[in-house]
Amino acid sequence: MSRLELYSPEGLRVDGRRWNELRRFECQINTHPNAADGSSYVQQGNSKVLCLVKGPMEHGANLAAGTKLDPNGPVLSLNINYPPFASNERKKRPKNDRRLQEISIILKRCFMKTIVLKNYSRTAIDINLTVLAMDGGLLACFCNAITLALIDAGISLYDYVSAVSVGLYDQTPLLDMNALEENDLSFVTIGVVGDSDKLNLTLCEDKLPLDKLERLISLGIEGCHRLKELMDLQVRVAGGQLQERQ
Amino acid sequence: MASVKRQRPTDGLAVTQKVFVRSRNGGALKIVREHYLRDDIPCSSVCCDDCEEYYRPSPDGQPSEPILSGEPLEITKNGIGRHYLILDTNVVLNAIDLLESDKVFYDVVIPQTVLEEVRNRSYPIYMRLRALCKNDDKRFVVFHNEFKTDSFVSREKGESAQDYNDRLIRKCALFYSQHLAKHKLSVVLLTSDKNNIEKAVNEGIRTMSLHSYVSLLPNYSELEDMLPSNETFSRQLTEISYQEYYSPARLMGGIKSGTLFQGTINISSYNFLEGSISVPSMPKPLLVLGRENLNRSFNGDTVVVELLPKNKWKKPSTEIVDEETINSNGVGDEDEDEVVISDQERRLLAEHAVAAQGEDQKVIPTARVVGIVKRSWRLYVGQLAPNSASKDQVGGNAAKSCFVILMDRSLPKVRIRTRRARELLGKRIVVAVDSWSPTSKYPDGHFVRVLGDVEDKDAEQEALLLEHDVEYRPFSKNVLDCLPKEGHDWKVPEKLDNGDPQLAQRRDLREKLVCSIDPPGCVDIDDALHAQRLPNGNYEVGVHIADVTHFVKPGTALDQEGASRATSVYLVDKRIDMLPMLLGTDLCSLKPYVDRFAFTVLWEMDEDANIVRVDYFKSIIRSKEAFAYEQAQLRMDDPAQQDELTQGMRILLQLSKKLKQKRLDAGALNLASPEVKVHMDSETSDPGEVEVKKLVEANSLVEEFMLLANISVAKKIYDEFPQVAMLRRHAAPPATNFEALNDMLRVRKGMHISLESSKALADSLDRCEDPQDPYFNTLLRIMATRCMMAAEYFSAGNYGYEDFRHYGLATEIYTHFTSPIRRYCDVVVHRQLAAAIGYEPLHPLHRDKAKMDLVVKNINKRHRNAQFAGRASIEYYVGQVMKNTQSVHEGYVIKVFSNGIVVLVPKFGVESLIKLESLGDIRTSHFDEDLYKLTFTDKNGSERQVSVFDRVQVSVTSQLDEMTGKRKAQLLLA
Ligand SMILES: [Zn+2]
Repeated sequence: MSRLELYSPEGLRVDGRRWNELRRFECQINTHPNAADGSSYVQQGNSKVLCLVKGPMEHGANLAAGTKLDPNGPVLSLNINYPPFASNERKKRPKNDRRLQEISIILKRCFMKTIVLKNYSRTAIDINLTVLAMDGGLLACFCNAITLALIDAGISLYDYVSAVSVGLYDQTPLLDMNALEENDLSFVTIGVVGDSDKLNLTLCEDKLPLDKLERLISLGIEGCHRLKELMDLQVRVAGGQLQERQ
Repeated sequence: MASVKRQRPTDGLAVTQKVFVRSRNGGALKIVREHYLRDDIPCSSVCCDDCEEYYRPSPDGQPSEPILSGEPLEITKNGIGRHYLILDTNVVLNAIDLLESDKVFYDVVIPQTVLEEVRNRSYPIYMRLRALCKNDDKRFVVFHNEFKTDSFVSREKGESAQDYNDRLIRKCALFYSQHLAKHKLSVVLLTSDKNNIEKAVNEGIRTMSLHSYVSLLPNYSELEDMLPSNETFSRQLTEISYQEYYSPARLMGGIKSGTLFQGTINISSYNFLEGSISVPSMPKPLLVLGRENLNRSFNGDTVVVELLPKNKWKKPSTEIVDEETINSNGVGDEDEDEVVISDQERRLLAEHAVAAQGEDQKVIPTARVVGIVKRSWRLYVGQLAPNSASKDQVGGNAAKSCFVILMDRSLPKVRIRTRRARELLGKRIVVAVDSWSPTSKYPDGHFVRVLGDVEDKDAEQEALLLEHDVEYRPFSKNVLDCLPKEGHDWKVPEKLDNGDPQLAQRRDLREKLVCSIDPPGCVDIDDALHAQRLPNGNYEVGVHIADVTHFVKPGTALDQEGASRATSVYLVDKRIDMLPMLLGTDLCSLKPYVDRFAFTVLWEMDEDANIVRVDYFKSIIRSKEAFAYEQAQLRMDDPAQQDELTQGMRILLQLSKKLKQKRLDAGALNLASPEVKVHMDSETSDPGEVEVKKLVEANSLVEEFMLLANISVAKKIYDEFPQVAMLRRHAAPPATNFEALNDMLRVRKGMHISLESSKALADSLDRCEDPQDPYFNTLLRIMATRCMMAAEYFSAGNYGYEDFRHYGLATEIYTHFTSPIRRYCDVVVHRQLAAAIGYEPLHPLHRDKAKMDLVVKNINKRHRNAQFAGRASIEYYVGQVMKNTQSVHEGYVIKVFSNGIVVLVPKFGVESLIKLESLGDIRTSHFDEDLYKLTFTDKNGSERQVSVFDRVQVSVTSQLDEMTGKRKAQLLLA
C-alpha cells in the first residue's frame, strides 16, 4: 500500500500534475563542444541525463578489438554510466547490470532505424550516456538525449525520436511517470518518430491489460509530439547561435 | 522543505522542489521530489465564479462540479454567520463517527495536508473520510491546498514537520476566508490543538475547538455525548497503574533477538482475564493471565508479549470467570513484584517454554503484554451498566461518566460520559473506544448512537450485525448505478447473432430439461441441473450456475461493494445481500420459465458416475421448474410421474448416490453441528417453534453435483492460473486438537478417535456407538467438528499442491463456484474460469498475486463473521422461544470445570453453563480432573456426580442477563 495517493479522486497526481501533463522539460545541445562531436543535456522533471556522441569515425573507441565494420551502415556502440550518486540509494551497480544492457540493446535497435544508414557505411558511432539524477523515465530520457546529441554531431536522421513513459493507474492513463509512480504502477515507454504516429521504440516491463494499451499509447504519442516541439525549438535556438558566431 | 526557486513551465503552473530527509536503517536519505503548483484548483463553492473555469472533466469525460452549498449552515452566535468548516487532522481522527452523523457537519473542506496525515495515521479512518467525500449529501470536499499556488507556503528552515503542516492548514483556512469574503461566507477552522488555535487567532483566522463549535449548534444536547472523550474527560484519580508499553525500538529489537514475541491475542469468552497468543516459535499458545498482564489489550489486538519467570507458569484455568463475579481485589489484581530478568535469561526462558510445551506437561508458559502493534478497535455494541443511573433519580442533568458493558464478553467495560444516562438505560447503544491510559482501569470511549430497546427485535438484529462487522446499509447510488438500465425488464437478447462476440460464444441450452432444487421459499437461485441419457449409454449431466459476472464487471463500484461484503448473511428472518436484489433475486436468479444467462459445467458420465468428459462454457438456459427439496423428493418417489423431466431427475439422483458413495469411500467426513431452524409464525412474525434441520435425499442430490462442479472447476482454473487461482482448502486437524476429546473418550467410554487420515477418522467415528444412547454418536460428531480446523480460501501460489487438500471432503483440490449470487469467491472463480476458456481476458485485479491476497483475506474474515452472525441470530430467537416456555429436556454434559458444567441441549441447539452454586452445595463439591467428574451434594441433600458425556435432564428457560442485556439459555439440572 502506497503511503500516498498516487492519483486522487480530484484528478491530481502525487506531484500536483493532472493525468495528461508532462513534467518540466528542459534540454540543451552542444553542451560539451570540445569533448565530443555531439553532446546534449536533457532534464525531465528531476531526471537528468547527459549524452556525448563521437563519430562517425573509422575506429570506434568503445568497440572491442577485431570487431568488423559494416559495409551497410554504422556500428553503434552504447555505453551507460549510472554513478551511485544518481539514484536515491547510493548503491553501486554491477558492471553489466542486466536492465541497463537490455535498455542499451533497445536504444541501439531504435536508432539503427532512425539514422540514415547508407550515409555511414564502414563507420563507428559511439554514444556515451551519463545519468546525473534519476526520478523516473530512464529510457525516455536516454532516447531524447541521444536524438539531440546525434543532431548536434551532424549525423543525418530521418526525424526526431522523442520518448515518454505512460502508466496506468486503475483505469486512468498517466503521462510521464516519476519514480514514485513507476514504483507502484505498470507503465510502457514509447518513442515516436517526428510528428507521425510511428513508434520506433516500445518497452513494457510489467503486465498491462491489453484493452488499455491503445489509450496509453495514444496519450503517449500526444506527449511525444509536445516533447518533439520543445526539442526542435532548442535545436533551432542553438542553430541560430551557431550562425551568429560564424 | 527548503525554499527553492520556482520555475514556470507554462502559464498557471509552477514547479518547486520538496526536499526532505528520511531515515532508513539508521542512515539518512535525502529525497527530492518535484512539486507542481497550479492555479486551476477550484474552491468547490457553488457561489464562487472565480473558479468556474477550473472544473476539469476526468480522463473518461466525467464533468466535475462545485460541491459546497451556496446556503451552508448559519450560526448567529459569535457572528459566525453562514460558514464552511475546515477540519484539522486531530478532529478527523478523534471524531470520525460524529463527522459521519447525518445530524451535523455539512459543507466541510478537508485540506490535502489533513487527508495525508490521516492516511498515514489510520488507513481505515482515511477510507471512511474518502467515503464521506463521495457521499453526495454530506458535501465534503478535499482541497489540494499544497498544489494551489495561492495556498501553498514553503517549509522554513528548522521547522518541524508537525509545525509546517499546521501552518499549511492555517494558510488554507486563510485562503478560503479571503477567497469567499465577497460572497459573505465565512470559514471556521476546527482543531483540538490549543497551540494551533492560538496561532490561528493571531493570524486572524476564525478557529474553534470541536467542543466549543458543537456547543453553538442548535442540536447541541443531542450531539454532546458523541464528542470524543479526550476533550471532555478530566480525571485526577489514579485507579490502577498498568505497565507502560515498551518503546517501538525496544519492541522491534526484542522481536528480532527472540526475547519478545508478536501475535494476535485471543481472549477467552469463558474467562475475560485469560488470553492466549499463538506465536510462530512455540508449538502451543502462550497464556496471558490477569488484568495487569493483559495490560490493556483488547481481544484481537496485535500485541507483543514477554515471557514471565518460570514460577509464574500456570495451568489453563479450570474455572469460569465473569467480570461481575470479580470484585476489585479478586483474581488478576494480585500485586506483581517487578522481576528483573536479563535478555540472556529470557532467551533461556524461551527455550524452557518450548521444552515445557513439548513434554506434554499441563503447565503452560505465561507471558505479559508489553506493547500493542495494532489495535482491533471498532464500533462496539453494549448497554449501560444497570447501576450507572437509576430511573427515578431526580434532576441532575449534569454529564457523568458511566460504564458500558459490551455484548462481546471477552471485552472490558468502556467508560463514557453522558448527560443522558437515564434515557439510555435499557437501550442497546453503540460506542467507540478512544483511548486507554495506563492510569485508568477501563478504556475511555464515547457514545455513538442508540439502536433501540434491549430485546427489541430490530435493535438486537442491528446490534448483532454491527458486532460481527456486517455491512447492512442499503446499497449506495454509485453501486446501484452499475445495474442494467432496463431494471426488471432486462431480457436475454432475442437474436443471438446480434454482432456481440461474447453473446456468440454462448451455447443455447434452452431446449434442455433444466430444473432447480432449493430450500422452500428460495428466491436467489444460484444453480440448476439437467441430465439425459446419451445414445452411447452414458449420461450427459449439466450444472448451470447463475452468470453473475455478466452483470458484475470487475473494478466497478458494484464489484467493489460485492468484494467488501464478500458474502450474503443469513439471519433467521432477514437476509443481507452481497449484491443488490435486482441481480440476486431476478436477473441472475435462475428462475423457472424465463431465459437466463448461465455458466455451465457439462459432463459426460458413465453408468458408475465416472467422468468421461468435462466441458465448461457460458450458456443460455430456461429452467422448466423450481422445486423445493421435499417437492422434488415426492415427485421422484411418485411412480406415476414418467415425464422426461422427472426421468432426468431420477438419473441425477442415481448418479448422486454413486458419487456420494465414492466420496465416503475416499474418506469424506460426515460431521454434525447442532443446527436448528426457527419457525416464524407467519402472521405475527414471532418465533414459533424450534426444529432440528431435516435432510432428504434431494438435498444430497444437489450437494453432490455442486461438489463435483466445484472440484472440476478448481482443477481447470488451477491449470490455467497456478499462482492466483482462487481455491479453498481444509487442513487436517493437528493431533493436539483431539487430545482433550480423546482423553475424555478413553476415560469415560474406552473409545478412541484415530487421526491418521480422514478415512480413519471417519471410520473411527462410525465405530463410536453407545448402544444405550443413540444420540451419543451425533454428540461426538458435534464435538469432533469443534476440534477441526476451519476451511479457508487461498490463492494457489500460497501453498504447495499437497496442502491444497480439502480434508473434510477428501479431495485434492477444491473451490467454490456454485453460489456467485451470495459468495464473492465464486464471482472471482467465474472470472478466472471465463478467462481459462478464452471467453474474456482476466482483469488485472484477479491476476495480481498481492491483490488476490487482500481479496482472500477479506473473504475469509467476512465468511467467518457471517457464520457467527447467523448463529447469534438463531441464538437470539431460540432465547425468545424459550422465554415463553419452560420445559424439561434431555441434555449432555460436554465440559466439566471445578466450579460448573457445560450442558448441550440438542433440541434447541444451545449449550450453557450451569454453575456449581445452582447445582448444589459448594462446600461439599469435589472435582476429579483426571476422571472429568464433579461430585457434590445437590439441593435435595443427596450425593450426586456428573461427568463428561453424561445424559442429564435439564429444565430449560431463558433469562435476561441484567448486565449484558442478552437473553441466555438458563439450564438447571432437573
Ligand atoms: Zn473559488
